[in-house]
Amino acid sequence: MKHRLRFGALVTSVAEARRAEELGYDLVAVSPDERDPWTLLSWIAGHTERVGLAVTGLDAADREPTVLGRAAASLDLLSGGRLSLALTGEHLGEVTDIVRGVLDADQAGPLRYPGEHHRVPKAQRGPLPAHRIPIWLTGTDPASLALAGRTADGWIADLEQVSADELVTAYKIIEAAASEADRDADEIRRILIVDPDRSAAELSALGADTFLFRAAVLPDLTAWETLRDSSGPSVFRPASVRSKRRDGIAYDELPASLAATAVEPGDLDYARVRSTYMRGGAPGLVLRPTTTAEVVEALAVARAHPELPFGLRSAGHGVSGRSTNDGGIVVSLAALNTIEILDEARRLIRVGPGARWMDVAHALRPYGWALSSGDYGGVGVGGLATAGGVGWLARKHGLTIDHLHAVEMVLADGSVVRASATENADLFWAVRGAGANFGAVTSFEFEAYEVGDVGFAQLVVAADDPADLLVTWGRAIEAAPRDLSGQLIMGPPRPGQPAYAQLMAVVDSDDPETIIEQVQPIAAIAPLYQQEVVLTPYAGVISNAADGGYHQGVGEPTSRSGLIEHLTPAFARAVVKLLASGAVHWFQIRTVGGAVADVPADETAYAHRSANFSVIVMGSSKQRVDAAWAGLAEHFDGLYLSFETDQSPERVADAFPPATLARLRELKLRYDPDNLFRDNFNIKAAAR
Amino acid sequence: MTDYGQDLLFGTFITPTAQPVHQAVELAVVADRAGLDLATFQDHPYLPKFHDTWTLISYAAARTTRIRLSGNVLSLPLRQPAVLARSHASLDRLTGGRIELGLGAGAFWDGIEAMGARRLTPGQAVTALGEAIEIIRAVWSSEPGPVRVNGEFYQADGVKRGPAPAHDMSIWVGAYKPRMLRLIGRAADGVLPSLSYLEGGPADYAVINQHIDDSAVAAGREPARIRRMLNINGTFSGFGKSFLNGPAEQWAEDLAGVALEHGVSTFILASDDPAAIEEFAGDVAPAVRELVAAERAH
Repeated sequence: MKHRLRFGALVTSVAEARRAEELGYDLVAVSPDERDPWTLLSWIAGHTERVGLAVTGLDAADREPTVLGRAAASLDLLSGGRLSLALTGEHLGEVTDIVRGVLDADQAGPLRYPGEHHRVPKAQRGPLPAHRIPIWLTGTDPASLALAGRTADGWIADLEQVSADELVTAYKIIEAAASEADRDADEIRRILIVDPDRSAAELSALGADTFLFRAAVLPDLTAWETLRDSSGPSVFRPASVRSKRRDGIAYDELPASLAATAVEPGDLDYARVRSTYMRGGAPGLVLRPTTTAEVVEALAVARAHPELPFGLRSAGHGVSGRSTNDGGIVVSLAALNTIEILDEARRLIRVGPGARWMDVAHALRPYGWALSSGDYGGVGVGGLATAGGVGWLARKHGLTIDHLHAVEMVLADGSVVRASATENADLFWAVRGAGANFGAVTSFEFEAYEVGDVGFAQLVVAADDPADLLVTWGRAIEAAPRDLSGQLIMGPPRPGQPAYAQLMAVVDSDDPETIIEQVQPIAAIAPLYQQEVVLTPYAGVISNAADGGYHQGVGEPTSRSGLIEHLTPAFARAVVKLLASGAVHWFQIRTVGGAVADVPADETAYAHRSANFSVIVMGSSKQRVDAAWAGLAEHFDGLYLSFETDQSPERVADAFPPATLARLRELKLRYDPDNLFRDNFNIKAAAR
Repeated sequence: MTDYGQDLLFGTFITPTAQPVHQAVELAVVADRAGLDLATFQDHPYLPKFHDTWTLISYAAARTTRIRLSGNVLSLPLRQPAVLARSHASLDRLTGGRIELGLGAGAFWDGIEAMGARRLTPGQAVTALGEAIEIIRAVWSSEPGPVRVNGEFYQADGVKRGPAPAHDMSIWVGAYKPRMLRLIGRAADGVLPSLSYLEGGPADYAVINQHIDDSAVAAGREPARIRRMLNINGTFSGFGKSFLNGPAEQWAEDLAGVALEHGVSTFILASDDPAAIEEFAGDVAPAVRELVAAERAH
C-alpha cells in the first residue's frame, strides 16, 4: 500500500469531533444533514487542533466554484492544513478544475476557464492554502468513477450503499481510467465509510486506505492499530509532483526526519520557500531541519551533492540572495527560531538562527533590553549575526557580533562544536564576519544590553545641493554623541521635482530634551520638508516588517557596498555623478564608527573597524551599476558583505584586509577543506 | 430630531485579511473580550488577499464566546440565497443565537463577473436582493411545504425549508440609494451604510431615514423596528480635532449626537488595531450609552 492507512469518524457535533481527536483519529468528516456542512466543518475546525477535516460530500451546486476554491483555501489556512474536500453533484470535472485553478496561487496570470457549464472570465488565484488540499470525488456510476480515476486525489464510498463486490469493480474502473490518463492509480486515496463492527482482517480485505467509522459511540482504535504498521509513508508525492524534480538530487534517499518537512519543486509549499526577499530562485530541494541533529543530516545531504549549488538560509533576507539558487539544495534554518533567556543577571540570551530580529526585540523588551541588529525587523538572526550587524544603535553599542559570546555550529564534516573566546577561539573569530564560509550556526549566545525608550527621528530635507548635503550630514554625524546612529537615503534626481533626502536617526535616550538636542544638528543641515520625532521602545523602531506572507523576489539583485571613513567633498561629488547616471534607484548611507571602532581590527573577521559610514547602492542592471560605482571606488576602504552582490574574489578581498583574509584561508583549510560552504562569498582555502 | 429609541449596539468592522492567517480571528477575540456586541467582516470574494468571509465567520464564531457576528456585508451575487439562509441558521444554532445576516446587492461588478457570476444593473440588483430576502425568510420559516419563489433572478422551486435560526435573525442591508432603502423599509431589518461613503457626513442619514420610514409605513411595518446602523472610522487623539478625531469623551459626544439626531443605534468601528477596539469598547461605548440614556430620560 502506498498511502499510510488512516482512520476517521463521521461526526455531527464538536463534542464528537473532539472525542475523535482525543482517541487519535486522523480525521473527522461531517455528513450533510439539514445544516450547511461547510459551516459545521468550519465551526468544528475552530474547536479542534490536530484532526483532519472533511465533508463526506459537499454539493458543488451550493457555491460558485471560484468561491468554493477561496473558501477551501481559507479553511485550510485557518485550520493549519487540515482540510480534504469531497465533492458531489454535477459537472464535477469542471468544478474540480476551477477549484484547483484558484488554489494554484503560484501559477502565473489569472484563472480563465471556458467550461461548458462553468465559465470563469479571469478570477484572481489564491490565497495559497496551507497544504495541497486533496479533492475527493464520489459517485458509483461509471462516468463518476472514470472522472475520479482521471483527476481525483481520492474517491469516497459508503459501504452501506456499495457491496464489497461492487467496490472491487469500482476500483478497477478507477484504475483503468487513471492508467489511461497516465496516472498512477496509487495516487488516488480510497476512502470508505464503514461500521466499526468489522475486524482488522475484514477491513484490510476491502482495499481502502481511509476508513471513516459511522458509530453512535466512537470506538478507540486499538483493534485496528495493526493495520497502520504495514501501511505506507506519511508523505506521498504523486507522479505529477515527482515529475518536477530536478536532475542530480537523490530525493528518495533523504533520512525520514528530513523527508517529512522537505520541499521539492512540485510541492505546494515550494511557492513559499523558493525565492528570497530580493532574489528569485528555483532550488531543486529545500530542507527544513528542526533540530541541530537534523541540521547535521541536512549538511550530509549537501555534502553528497558536491556539484550542486548549496544555500543556507535563516530568514531569506540576504541582499545577495545566496540562500536560494537554481536546481541546487537549500537548507532553511527557519524552524530553529527559539529565543531563550539564559541568565537574567548577566543578560545572556540564546537565539536560534531562524528567529527574526523583530521577534528578538519583542522578546527582550519586557526585560528592558535590546540588541542592535540591522534596520529591518524581518531579517533573520543567522545571516546577520555571522556577517556583522550594522544597526540603529551601532555607534552606541557596536555591531551585533560585538555582543556575541558563543555559538553552537555544525561544521562541514558534520561535527557539532561550540565556539567562544575560550573554545575553538579561531573559529569564533572567523564566525564573527565570515561565518557563512565555516558552518551552519544552530544557536547564538548574546549578551543583551539595557535600552529604554529611544528617540526615533524621520526627516525629509531639501537636497538642492546634494554634494553639500552629504558633506554636512557626514560632519554632523561624526560630531554627534554616540547615542545617535542613523542613515541617509537619496534617489536619482527627478526632472521638474525638488530634490530631497530622507534622514533617519535613533537616539538612545528616553529624555525628550536630549533627543531633540541631538537630532537638532542633523535637522539643521538643510530646509525641512517633513519631520517626525517619536519616543518609542526600540522594538517599535525595528517592528517594521509585515507578518505573514512569503518572499516573492524575482530576478537577480544588484547591490554594491563600500565602507568609508569621511564623506569628503570629492566623494560627495562622485555620488552626485552616480545619482545623475540613473543607474541606481537606491542610495543609502548608514552610520558605523563609534563603538564599532572601539573593537580592535584583529578581534573579529569583520575588520574594517575605522569606517564611519557604510554606503549601499542598488540598481537593476549589474553592468550599469558597476560602471557608475567605479567612480566611487577610490574613496572606499573595504566593504560590508551583507550589502554586496558581486561574488568575485576581488570583492572577498575588499571585505577582508590581507592579514584577515590570510588567516581566514588557513582556517578554511582546517574547517572546510572540501569547500562545502562555497556559495556565499567563497573564501579559498590556503594551499595544503 | 429622530430617535427611534432602539437599544444601542457597538461593534467592530474587521478586515478579513488572509495574511497573517489568524489576524482577523484574533481581532474578533479582542472585540469579544472587550465587551463589544458585534464582530463584522467585509466580503470581497474576488480578492484572494482576503479569507472567504463566511468560512472566517464560522471559524471565528468557534473562537469567541459571547459576541454576535455578521458579514458587513456579504456579496449576494456570489452567494446563493438558500445557502445563505441555511448556513446562517446552522451557525446561529451552533452558537446559540449569535449570528445576524448582513447582505449587500453587490458593489464591484468587474470583480463579481471575473469570478463567473452575472453582472446586474443597479435596478436589477435591487430586485434580485428583494427576491433573495424572500427566499431566505422562506427557508427559515416553519410554514408547511417546500419553498416556492419564482423570481426574475432567483428561482427556488421545491427547496426544502429549514433549519430555522435559533433566534429571530435580522437581515441588515448595506444601502445608500432610494430604491434599496425602500426595499429595506418593506423587507429588511436594518440599514448598514458606511460613514466614509456619506458625502454629507452623518447628516445624510436624514434622507436615509426618510426613504425607509415612508416605505415601511406604506408596507404596514413599524419604522422603529428597522435598525439604523453605521460603519464609522476615526482616530483616537489627545485633543479634539474634528468629528471622531479626538479623545474617547469626544467620540462619545459625537456618536451620542448622531444617535439622538438621526436615530442611529448601531456603531461599527472599522479598525484592525486592538488598542482602538479596546478603547472603543471600554471608553466610548459606555459613555455613549450613558449620554443617550440621560437624554432619552428627559
